[in-house]
Amino acid sequence: MPFNGKSGKFNAAIRTVEIGTGDKAVKLGGECVAPLYSFDAPIENAPKVGVLITDHGFENESEGIKAYYEGCSNWGEIAQRAAAMEGADFLVLKFDKADPNGENAPVEDCLAIINEVAAATDMPLVIAGCKNAEKDAEIFNKAAEALQGKNVLIFSAKEENYKGVAASAVLAYGQKVGAESSVDINLAKQLNVVISQVGVDMGNIVMNVGTATAGYGFEYVVSTLDRVKAAALGQDDAQLQMPIMTNVGDETWAVKESTASEADIPAWGPVDARGVNMEVATAMAVLASGSNAVILKHPTSVATVSKLIKELM
Amino acid sequence: MAKVLFKFEDGSQVEASAALGENLLEVARKVNVAIDAPCSGNASCGKCKVKFLSGELDSKKTRHISEAEYSEGWRLSCVSTITGDVEVMVPDIASAYKSRMKVADLSSPEEIQIFNKATEEIKAAGVEFKNSFEVIELQMDEPTLDDTMPDNERLVWALEAQTGKENIKLSFTVLRKMAKVLRAAAFHVKAVVTVKDEEVFVYDLVPADKEAYVTGLAIDIGTTTVSGVILDLLTGKILAKASSGNGQIRYGADVINRIIEQQKPGGVAKLQKAIIDETINPMIINMCRAAKVAPNCIYSMCIGANTTMNHLFVGVDGDPIRMEPFIPTFFGTDSIHGRDLDIKIHPDARIIIAPNIGSYVGGDITAGTLVSMVWAQESFSLFVDLGTNGELVFGNSDFMMSCACSAGPAFEGGDISCGMRATDGAIEACVIDPVTMEPTFTIVGDEGTKPVGLCGSGIIDVIAELFRCKIIGPNGKFIREGARVRHDKYGIGSYLLATKEEAGSVKDIEINEVDIDNFIRAKGAIFSAIYTMLVSLDFDVSMIENVYVAGGIGSGINMENAVNIGMFPDIGVEKYHYIGNSSLAGAYAMVLSEPAEEKVYELSKNMTYMELSTTPGYMDEFVAACFIPHTNSSLFPNVKQADI
Repeated sequence: MPFNGKSGKFNAAIRTVEIGTGDKAVKLGGECVAPLYSFDAPIENAPKVGVLITDHGFENESEGIKAYYEGCSNWGEIAQRAAAMEGADFLVLKFDKADPNGENAPVEDCLAIINEVAAATDMPLVIAGCKNAEKDAEIFNKAAEALQGKNVLIFSAKEENYKGVAASAVLAYGQKVGAESSVDINLAKQLNVVISQVGVDMGNIVMNVGTATAGYGFEYVVSTLDRVKAAALGQDDAQLQMPIMTNVGDETWAVKESTASEADIPAWGPVDARGVNMEVATAMAVLASGSNAVILKHPTSVATVSKLIKELM
Repeated sequence: MAKVLFKFEDGSQVEASAALGENLLEVARKVNVAIDAPCSGNASCGKCKVKFLSGELDSKKTRHISEAEYSEGWRLSCVSTITGDVEVMVPDIASAYKSRMKVADLSSPEEIQIFNKATEEIKAAGVEFKNSFEVIELQMDEPTLDDTMPDNERLVWALEAQTGKENIKLSFTVLRKMAKVLRAAAFHVKAVVTVKDEEVFVYDLVPADKEAYVTGLAIDIGTTTVSGVILDLLTGKILAKASSGNGQIRYGADVINRIIEQQKPGGVAKLQKAIIDETINPMIINMCRAAKVAPNCIYSMCIGANTTMNHLFVGVDGDPIRMEPFIPTFFGTDSIHGRDLDIKIHPDARIIIAPNIGSYVGGDITAGTLVSMVWAQESFSLFVDLGTNGELVFGNSDFMMSCACSAGPAFEGGDISCGMRATDGAIEACVIDPVTMEPTFTIVGDEGTKPVGLCGSGIIDVIAELFRCKIIGPNGKFIREGARVRHDKYGIGSYLLATKEEAGSVKDIEINEVDIDNFIRAKGAIFSAIYTMLVSLDFDVSMIENVYVAGGIGSGINMENAVNIGMFPDIGVEKYHYIGNSSLAGAYAMVLSEPAEEKVYELSKNMTYMELSTTPGYMDEFVAACFIPHTNSSLFPNVKQADI
């Protein structure tokens, strides 16, 4: 009997969420097949790659990243440089310095950066916070207000602050909102449910289910992503059919493999290349498990991952 | 040394002397002042509040006491250190757990019905209700100078002649009293004996013209509540019933804290004393008084208790139960008699302990399983015992699976700021108006009793109603504002059940988001255990024909609400049956009937124990169940909210 390939297309689909405006706007999600299974049915929107910029600048970044941004004198130039990366689909602004347990930079500083960046580029923007739920709520509220009409993604609301964040971002200022949980399918779904009960349409939510660097308890990440997609597509679970965005770069550039100098561990080779390897490996693994977008730092990683995506579509 | 004076709301007081630097809660425990401390003095539950009246007391501020309360004098006794003479007031709520001992001749028709139904069903399933106790009337020749046989041989001869048995043994009690009894009754006596195979054992002698009472005692030792009955071993008639708070409560609300307390110097004796001297013996005395029998006429006793409780009762080390690989000293034991423990029953009375099947599935469950009748039906049923530990048995006449989950003390009012046990003043049922958000209560106690707090069934109702009225969301957080919804300075929401004026108390009665969260975890533990056990057997909740719910949560439990909050599977309220205290009913059957006792042993051997903590997926299921009603709402198709 000849082999008849059977399509693994599902009767359910991931919701499409658009961020940004105009030509550069990107669409996340929309697929009705397992991650990257473009042979089962066309994947409506290929996974997207975002470039991470933090308010710390690039002093402490790896050589390759530092070199890439060399000569930039203000946030507008940095944004344009980042947007020019080969394969970059959107920009992510993260405000680490605003953390009250760190430098506690005022919200005005964050806004200044946001305004400069928004004026300099027409790339879709994703606004990330500082990990402190209370401060994030303030930053997000101001950012959503300042960027009204730009259709940005506020990344992201979590259990502690979802009420204020989701309501202000989506209901008051018409932006999109991320729903952040920590690598647990049930917590992810619960957050989606309660955010939608605030009155936010599920079509405005992008999930951020968390990640780890490959090799660092990464099995949990894969299992969570797998099961979210299995429930969303296989069981038509509407409360899990949001596209997923994963902040890979922030994680992978913090592990020893990406930071230990070559002088300390000569056998490991040049640190910049190692960091790129960790970033690319992790990014591809989360994409293969169901993430619809990844956030990266290094220009080489951005180029590599976007090329890989193109090849697979 | 300092003088510590504990004053009570009813005007009574207890004086103690304490060393400087001693902890106030410890001092209270030493002099038996009942202050509830479910967390065993870790400053985590906030239940051990007392009011500082005068003198000196060094007391830390904790999150459980507001500034206003602190300035009014409220202190947590577990973080208070004696620095000099001091007077404190112990409010009723701090000792509310020490429920007044109830001695009733099974006055409630419901209770009688549950007992009768249990025994009838067990009999109908082919378990005979018989035991080997008999009362034999003997007429002996009085001794003379020519007939010099000693009293004991005379008795043995008479019994041999009467029973045809050769192996006759006398209790030491009989030996001690027989000279007087025989002579006072002119050697015409009744002997209380057991006749087994070739052996006759004589427990007691009474003059032939007196009634020989042959009674047994069944006790259910719960982690929180102890209850018992005295019954006539010849007829099965219940003569008296009593219940009381477990005296060990002040050493911790759950089994783990109790075991930890047992490990401290003198701990074994202290915990044993708390359960036997302070709890069971007073119950026996009260019941015997009510039944008009002497404690010495209790010839057999059966304990239905979880593994930790029966270990602490017997006085054996509980630590291995707590530590991996969780091995108890015994499952079943036949080596304990009245004389081995300081318990007020006949010294030769056998103490039957309903067998344990694991460290966390104990005799209360095996005894309860007998009563649940899960084992006698072809269709599948589920037996759930809701206590501090939740235990489940699922199966039918062919197999039974069992597991335990840690629900915590929430079902009995622990871990809930306004929680209390189901005693006077407990709100046991509640309905909330979806429009006005005003509550209506059913309160335990006489008409006009003021609300004091929430017991388990009340908490289920309040949370189910708050959810139905969309006052809280599925994550237990407040989503609707109103006169009764408040937020503290940290943003923690709460719902006002009764103002302090309505409650006649020092504090408003409120249920807050932390309480709701604690309860959601408790109900999540129960549901996920049920679900995980069924899934591991490749079963589906729809295959459950009947659910038998037992436990101290009380017949007040509203099954519909329990389903609505996602504690039990959504399979139709008509499938749920409340079977009361099945551990006590099982112990009753075991003490009355030897075949029933054997049956429980047989059941315990046929039950497979499933360790949930090592089951993959249990944690996932647990997190999924910690939502109202469930993260997977398709499991609860019939749960509806009010249209507002």
